[in-house]
Amino acid sequence: MSETTNGNVPYIEMKNITKYYGGTIRALHDVNFQINRREIVGLVGDNGAGKSTLIKIISGVLQPTEGQIFVEGEEKKFTSSKIAMDSGIETIYQDMNLIDCMDIMRNIFCGRETTDAAGFLDLKEMRERAMHLLKNEVTIEGIRSPDQLVGNLSGGQKQAVSIARAMFFKNQVLLLDEPTSALSVRETHAFLDHIQKLREEGLSIVLVTHNIFHAYQVADRFFLLSQGECVLDVEKSETDIDELTRIIVAH
Amino acid sequence: MSRNSNAQSGARALFERVHGMKSGNILIVFVAIQIIAIGASLAFPENFRYLSTSNLQVLFRSIPTLGIIAMGVNLLMISGEFDLSVGSTFALASLVMAKLFNAGTPLIVAILLAVALGIAVGGINGYIVVKSNVPSFIITLGSMWFWRGIVLLLSQASNEAFNPGPTMTNVFTASIGPVQVQFLWFVAIAILCWLLLERHRLGNHFFATGGNVNAARALGINVKRIKMTGFMILGGLASLSGIISTTRVNNVSPIQGEGLELQAIAACVIGGTALMGGRGSVLGAFLGAALLFTVQDVLLLLRAPGYYLRLFVGLIIVLAVVLNEILRKK
Ligand SMILES: Nc1ncnc2c1ncn2[C@@H]1O[C@H](COP(=O)(O)OP(=O)(O)O)[C@@H](O)[C@H]1O
Ligand SMILES: [Mg+2]
Repeated sequence: MSETTNGNVPYIEMKNITKYYGGTIRALHDVNFQINRREIVGLVGDNGAGKSTLIKIISGVLQPTEGQIFVEGEEKKFTSSKIAMDSGIETIYQDMNLIDCMDIMRNIFCGRETTDAAGFLDLKEMRERAMHLLKNEVTIEGIRSPDQLVGNLSGGQKQAVSIARAMFFKNQVLLLDEPTSALSVRETHAFLDHIQKLREEGLSIVLVTHNIFHAYQVADRFFLLSQGECVLDVEKSETDIDELTRIIVAH
Repeated sequence: MSRNSNAQSGARALFERVHGMKSGNILIVFVAIQIIAIGASLAFPENFRYLSTSNLQVLFRSIPTLGIIAMGVNLLMISGEFDLSVGSTFALASLVMAKLFNAGTPLIVAILLAVALGIAVGGINGYIVVKSNVPSFIITLGSMWFWRGIVLLLSQASNEAFNPGPTMTNVFTASIGPVQVQFLWFVAIAILCWLLLERHRLGNHFFATGGNVNAARALGINVKRIKMTGFMILGGLASLSGIISTTRVNNVSPIQGEGLELQAIAACVIGGTALMGGRGSVLGAFLGAALLFTVQDVLLLLRAPGYYLRLFVGLIIVLAVVLNEILRKK
């Protein structure tokens, strides 16, 4: 029943989002952005276009200067990342995912530790789950144990740890801000395959990328930002790679 | 032959294991110094009385004052903050306890109020730091002078006697052979801090907040609350240390605790706690505090003039930090 009544309401809808940094730097201007169920949105645009700012607003790390956010049609104030997480949003950030001085296991569970009622960590349980994750779900080249310090990993390995964590705490919406920038070609393809599977499982995904070919490969819709404004919001079926490339180059 | 090489590989494995610990370096240095001191004391029992009961009592008595504060400083530094006002809190809590008790307040009430006061002072420091975003170094530099000023005002710059009777004296300062009860308090507090830091969710959040505050916040951790908690635990421990130390000397001096804040930071840094947060261990800070007093004690036993102490402590701090940094980069 609720499936049909909610069928046309986007999972997340952002209306008239404007964001100023420090009162003067305009990063977003009057952006309307929505995330539907079972959809991969390719969020593209040049450096400085405002993609990461938009992601951080959806994930509750930043608050918009103006505008509203609706979750399943209901207005929500994302005043902290905790609130956004509780609304079903899981994020891989471009620049602030991991804590170098902690090991892989503690990074994966950071903020969502498995504990007893008094808050003491169930290290054994967390370790086993991390092991299982790294062995069977998201294998990372060169990683043997969840006890390795994240600070000693390569860029690609770190990115893989953030991905592993997001996959582990799979949520309704997955926000991925340039998740493949440090991955090899082979790892990138495996990753793109993986997020298509997640869509089939019913997740909504926002994929931020520089690489329009990667976005084109998996996305159902394209959202192009330029200098903080939306210049294109189009279904894949209504466009093709040549047109997309032309519009991106023109901006 | 083979037994010999077994023993060798066993020793090597042990060394590797210790070396791999968070506080492995300081543990090795500490054990080495103990072996030398104990060896020298056994070889020259008349001239170097390191193992004499009276010397051990001095050690077990002096280490906890600094050590208990260092436990709190360690937690706070791991979360990425400093508190320079702990020496003043130490004096303030002691003075308030003594004044209350001397004015007829029941002892236990006076003690609890003093601890609560320390927690409140820490809370005020923390609140100003997280609300203003001004580095805690500056804020607590101000609060160090402010609370010292309050202590001087309340005490009229003179000593306050404190004679709580045998029960409290025994609870905080009795001797059990060469071991002093205050040292047991120190050990108990260290164990609690270890449980908090290494085995509790809160400790995980301390490390995360100090290690990468933006990532911690993005992961849903309330970093302001974590920092406030660190300041308050430290405030409570600073007053407890003041209470224990006051019970031993039966007196509060308005300048007591001056310099403790820097000594406590030194103890933590020697033990491998990072100045920028995110790294540190309870064992490291524990040994750091113990090492500072062991060196002081050895110099006294060697009848070295007082200035050698500062000279050595200065050297140890610089060497320890540089070594920790080199080993970390490796
Ligand atoms: N913390 C910040 N403070 C001030 N300006 C910022 C901050 N973060 C981003 N900006 C500015 O906002 C604009 C959009 O940045 P960003 O969202 O990171 O773009 P993108 O991710 O598309 O490269 C840029 O002009 C950038 O310089
Ligand atoms: Mg970006």
